Amino acid sequence: MSSAEVVLRVKDLKKHFPVHRGVLSRVVAHVQAVDGVSFEIRRGETLCLVGESGCGKSTVARSITRLEEPTAGTIELNGVDITALNSEALRAQRREMQMVFQDPYSSLNPRLSAGDIVGEPLTNFDLAQGAELEQRIAKLFEHVGLRPEAVNKYPHEFSGGQRQRLGIARALAVNPSLIIADEPVSALDVSVQAQVLNLLIDLQEEFNLAYLFVSHDLAVVEHIGHRVAVMYLGRIVELADNADLFGTPLHPYTEALLAAAPVLEVDGPRERIILQGDVPSPMNPPSGCRFHTRCPYVLPECKRTDPPLLEVAPGHHVACLRRPVGDSGAPLSIA
Amino acid sequence: MKSNVSTAATAPIATNGDTILSVQDLRTHFYTRDGVVRAVDGVTFDLARGETLCIVGESGCGKSVTALSILGLIPPKIGEIVSGSIRFDGTELTTESEREMRSIRGNRISMIFQEPMTSLNPVLTVGEQISESLRIHQRLDRRAAWDRAIEMLALVRIADPKRRAGEYPHQLSGGMRQRVMIAMALACNPQVLVADEPTTALDVTIQAQILNLMLELKDRLGTAIVLITHDLGVVAETAQRVIVMYAGRMVEEAPVRELLNNPKHPYTRGLIGSIPRRKSGGARGRTRGRLQEISGLVPSLREPIPGCAFAPRCSFATPRCITEQPPFEAHGPRHFAACWEVARIEATSSDQLVSSPT
Ligand SMILES: Nc1ncnc2c1ncn2[C@@H]1O[C@H](COP(=O)(O)OP(=O)(O)OP(=O)(O)O)[C@@H](O)[C@H]1O
Ligand SMILES: Nc1ncnc2c1ncn2[C@@H]1O[C@H](COP(=O)(O)OP(=O)(O)OP(=O)(O)O)[C@@H](O)[C@H]1O
Ligand code: SF4
Ligand code: SF4
Ligand SMILES: [Mg+2]
Ligand SMILES: [Mg+2]
Repeated sequence: MSSAEVVLRVKDLKKHFPVHRGVLSRVVAHVQAVDGVSFEIRRGETLCLVGESGCGKSTVARSITRLEEPTAGTIELNGVDITALNSEALRAQRREMQMVFQDPYSSLNPRLSAGDIVGEPLTNFDLAQGAELEQRIAKLFEHVGLRPEAVNKYPHEFSGGQRQRLGIARALAVNPSLIIADEPVSALDVSVQAQVLNLLIDLQEEFNLAYLFVSHDLAVVEHIGHRVAVMYLGRIVELADNADLFGTPLHPYTEALLAAAPVLEVDGPRERIILQGDVPSPMNPPSGCRFHTRCPYVLPECKRTDPPLLEVAPGHHVACLRRPVGDSGAPLSIA
Repeated sequence: MKSNVSTAATAPIATNGDTILSVQDLRTHFYTRDGVVRAVDGVTFDLARGETLCIVGESGCGKSVTALSILGLIPPKIGEIVSGSIRFDGTELTTESEREMRSIRGNRISMIFQEPMTSLNPVLTVGEQISESLRIHQRLDRRAAWDRAIEMLALVRIADPKRRAGEYPHQLSGGMRQRVMIAMALACNPQVLVADEPTTALDVTIQAQILNLMLELKDRLGTAIVLITHDLGVVAETAQRVIVMYAGRMVEEAPVRELLNNPKHPYTRGLIGSIPRRKSGGARGRTRGRLQEISGLVPSLREPIPGCAFAPRCSFATPRCITEQPPFEAHGPRHFAACWEVARIEATSSDQLVSSPT
């Protein structure tokens, strides 16, 4: 893969939040929200990020856009290391990278009308004004299925799903090369969701857009993703092409995640296999393999050795001691 | 429970002692610079003790406003319940004073809000917020309320609940905030739980646990649940009965299996057709085909809609659909729909119903 095709390269990203205690607010520990995450996204590609609530997905997204200052690691956007940029230089890069937030309500300025919210990035980067600006805003509203007169409304006058669509329209406004979307369709009913997903795929095909798409809905991931990264407690535990990940999941956590996913069965209640055991704390992650406290295949070795993320088949990476590359080059089977 | 309803407006008020919540012809409007928004335009349902009723419908169709109306949380001056009745355990809520509502809210009726950040207080720790509600409503002392708050956090599967209780909302992940709100709503053992998209921010494993927790509450205390969700998988798993809304109105209502297997309203059919489905077996992997959409836009809620609100997007529409509002009437046992063309639609297979995306 030539590096020219890579839009985003994240290397060994870490984000630790200090935990304060007592009257002096001493730092007594750190939440290891993201603890050594690396991946690349190529032009025109969708990488989906999935994993349990609290595993660090939003923190990855927010660190890439520098809304959180990474504790360590580098982030390259179109070959430029943006962790080293000052705010002036960063601003110019922002046009290339837009973010859709998980919580639309707190990310929209309540004092701006919906039209101004969507048009703001266009004005900020001097991309359009006057009648052209209005036209582009109208087009964006149409794209995300909002009525044209909604430009005059304020964020609190919208429903949850309508606000989420405002966030998407805003991110699309400046034709970025990368969109970091944190649960962008979670509040949408399936028909509007279908409309938005179709739009995202069309735009990708037309403009070679890349997406980092955080979602907990595996049906959506399976539909929109090219590759999937599965996170567990601040780390990527499996990374593979969609077909490989859904077809032959190799990490025990991925296996559990897929088994728990609802498959709509109209004739009877769906069956779910629920992962047992408590979610460990990211402040004090388990030794060795972080999944060992809940893994059905745990070996004594797993408590001591932290498995690295290894490529066990072409393009298929997994971090599990049960999955070393065998002599034949094929991963050993579980059980 | 309803036996036969001709139109929403004339539906009989249930006298059945089993009904805990009865909403009759609810209409809620907002007054904006550009005119009146008819967010809820005639919603009627009865909820029995221990029942789970799901409400689904297009984004912006009035689901949350229906919920907020029940809780008496429509902001005065900005909006108002213009007509209809909401009876809870024999008490008419629409005329209840704010003081009375405050003693009911969060106690006998509680709500899980769609957007956690709008209802959590950013300057209080989550433990303080949960225990405050327990102190007010359950009269627990400070210590007991705090212990119970931690217990509730553990119940919604938040790891390290003692430490988390001392954290502020911004220090939690999106899914954790949602679970804090769920913990708060369940803490006081409500008789009615209104849950507005309670599991949207949750991954599937935790989602399953939270749904179980709600269903346990129902089994243990007979709590009745109004569950608003766009996840039809969740609907299939939890609901007994489903209401489908469109543009402020009810367009269909049926027992859950009946609705999913035999939808009658074109909007419901379109909705079910839009679900992205997981493949099984060998077909797994990237699919990337286009999902089926319902083309067109929801109507503006600013002008009264004389006919069927779905008409501009419906491939079955006739001239009558544009001028006359179809009555919400029975088309089978406990199956109601508001559509003039049910007979014609029933003769058509599902996949011909929705106009294909262009
Ligand atoms: N404060 C307000 N002022 C004006 N209009 C409002 C206000 N609150 C809601 N609305 C409008 O009322 C309609 C119904 O909103 P509601 O929040 O009930 O939708 P919803 O069905 O919950 O949608 P979603 O699935 O997107 O959450 C929407 O069209 C919305 O724009
Ligand atoms: N500002 C902050 N201060 C302290 N801790 C934080 C902060 N932001 C996030 N965290 C912690 O970092 C961890 C990861 O949170 P993050 O929001 O990235 O999770 P997530 O994977 O997006 O989860 P969800 O699916 O619930 O949205 C959590 O333990 C969270 O409490
Ligand atoms: S390394 Fe061990 S504990 Fe970790 S996932 Fe593999 S088998 Fe399970
Ligand atoms: S009443 Fe007419 S427009 Fe409305 S859903 Fe039925 S056929 Fe379509
Ligand atoms: Mg998140
Ligand atoms: Mg809503």
